[in-house]
Amino acid sequence: MSESTETKARRDEFAEAARVWLEENVSQRWREHRGALEEDEIDEIRHEWDRILHRGGYAGLSLPKEYGGQGLSVVEEVIFSELAGRAQAPDGLARIGRILTAPTLVSIGTEYQRATYLPRILNGDEIWCQGFSEPDAGSDLAGVKSQAKKVEGGYLINGRKIWTSFARQAHRCLFLAQSDPEAPRYKNLTLFLMDMHQDGITISPIKQSSGLSHFAEVTFENVFVADEDVVLGEGQGWKAAMTVLQNERGGVEAAARYVEIRADLDLLQKSIGALPEYQLELEKLDARVELIRWQVMKSLAVIDDDVEYTRATSVLKVYWSDLWKEIAELGLATADARNIDHWRFMYLETRAASVYSGTNEIQRNIISERVLGMPR
Amino acid sequence: MSMVTTQAGEIGIEIAEVIRDTMAKATSGANVATYIEKDSPVGWGMLGEAGWDLIGVVEDEDSAALRDLVEVALAWGNTLIQLPLIPSLLAKRHSAAALEHDGPVTFSLNSASTPDGVGYVPFAQTEGIAVLDALGSEGKILEVSDVVADDYAPSLNGGRVNFVSSVSDDAARELRVLWAAEAAGVAKRSVADAVEFTKQRNQFNKPVATFQAVKHHLANAHISAQFAETAAIWASLEPEKATLAVDQSFRDSLNAIQLATQTYGGLGFTWEMGVHFSLRHVTMLRDLVAAVK
Repeated sequence: MSESTETKARRDEFAEAARVWLEENVSQRWREHRGALEEDEIDEIRHEWDRILHRGGYAGLSLPKEYGGQGLSVVEEVIFSELAGRAQAPDGLARIGRILTAPTLVSIGTEYQRATYLPRILNGDEIWCQGFSEPDAGSDLAGVKSQAKKVEGGYLINGRKIWTSFARQAHRCLFLAQSDPEAPRYKNLTLFLMDMHQDGITISPIKQSSGLSHFAEVTFENVFVADEDVVLGEGQGWKAAMTVLQNERGGVEAAARYVEIRADLDLLQKSIGALPEYQLELEKLDARVELIRWQVMKSLAVIDDDVEYTRATSVLKVYWSDLWKEIAELGLATADARNIDHWRFMYLETRAASVYSGTNEIQRNIISERVLGMPR
Repeated sequence: MSMVTTQAGEIGIEIAEVIRDTMAKATSGANVATYIEKDSPVGWGMLGEAGWDLIGVVEDEDSAALRDLVEVALAWGNTLIQLPLIPSLLAKRHSAAALEHDGPVTFSLNSASTPDGVGYVPFAQTEGIAVLDALGSEGKILEVSDVVADDYAPSLNGGRVNFVSSVSDDAARELRVLWAAEAAGVAKRSVADAVEFTKQRNQFNKPVATFQAVKHHLANAHISAQFAETAAIWASLEPEKATLAVDQSFRDSLNAIQLATQTYGGLGFTWEMGVHFSLRHVTMLRDLVAAVK
């Protein structure tokens, strides 16, 4: 049952090699001046990072070797994710392709889809976005209204997507649409692999309350998708979407978030750590932040046991997002002239943390129904 | 992430499994309230014969580590049976006098609930239990008379005496960690019991478990119970952080039990439903942990 000494030694070796590699490959310009760069240069550095990852052998760590991955496990993904955060590595633009499309195609894609898309995703050439949420279908994903009409050789898509990250830069989109308006709910959807470089696609960035624009609203007018780019078959979209979302939630994201949240708490400790009235509160926050990584490690120890693994990972998203919001609230409430800009930004930026990646209310529904077995 | 092996060793995992199986059979899944104020559904004899109180004794490098004992304490907390397993196994791990004694062993701690010079003795009312004057290598067993029953937490079957045991630093740290783990076990049990209750209890012609307000209380309780367990494991593996982790573990355990209690509605604050026994157990353990800080 327990991890063998050999496995541990191999993982320590992996971690050390990755740490050295990151130190050598994250550019100094990015580390020290990223706050002052223009958007185009940011995009360029982030896209180049996708290619650097591939050249270094760090793209698709947990994907099978036969599909161009490294044949390692989620444990290595988590190790790398934390180390990349610590090394202040850029977040690659091809992230959606790597963490959502690639594992989805490995588990439910066709041979054609794997052969066509996996190499381009892994070598960083192709950027993907995720077209799931719509103005009237956020948490209620089964309510998507975008229409896919069957035509010769494929489908014509019409509809609107919202909260689409990387839409501006994306070459392709994992697109969920209603393919049969007459079919019952959950059986009327199809998942498509859509080419984003064609007429009929209009991208409007959404400015968020923090001032940034991570997301866009995208409209699709008579956009074509070929038959061979349907995932799992017509009408199987709900099942396919669930496969995608299983890859979205869990330990790898939590490990990356841990590094960001730890950095924020360290900043807070630097500014108010000497004040006695905040000692107890900071101590509690410190324990809770550290528990993110202990919970991730505890989950990974039971990764072969589906039930226990789900029990342990299902709690992560709610936990780190609520905690991050709380830290930002305390940061803003105690800010001074040196850090007020950071805390104003983080306070507004973290309002979104309990909403994106599945709202915390949906997460709690998942915990109560799928983990605790409470009835719908 | 420098990965730490968080899993218990074979010895911890195996004994925890035996405890879970044996105790589930012994109580037949009965509500705690049906046995906790009476004789224990299992006698000490069974635990003693199985040698569960000796699993913490350090003999060689294959002996149980603190992480293994955490696994045992988690399983034990899940049972909520009024037997002195955790104090006994910790006493026998740290005290030669306790190890020589053929039977359960406990000690006296000056908790927040006792005046200066007076100690609370967990399981003081358990028949045949020995009390140490010191939890550590120098300890010896005392003749104790004049035990005043303290029935706040029936599952701890405690009493007060007019002396306080000294506790070595090592034993104190391990005791805090094991009680945190035991409390996390109680928390996990509370959540599981509440889930079952809400599935059976109907209001507005349907099980209250179908209401989102109730589901979210129990989802939050599950989150807290998970982190209470994780914090106890962390405390066992990183001694310099044990105090921080134990305190957080208790906060999470209590939060889980309190949320679970809310989902029982009015029944949650009746004596006979028995939900309060978990709250009593864990808040008393928290006092005892503070006493050996």
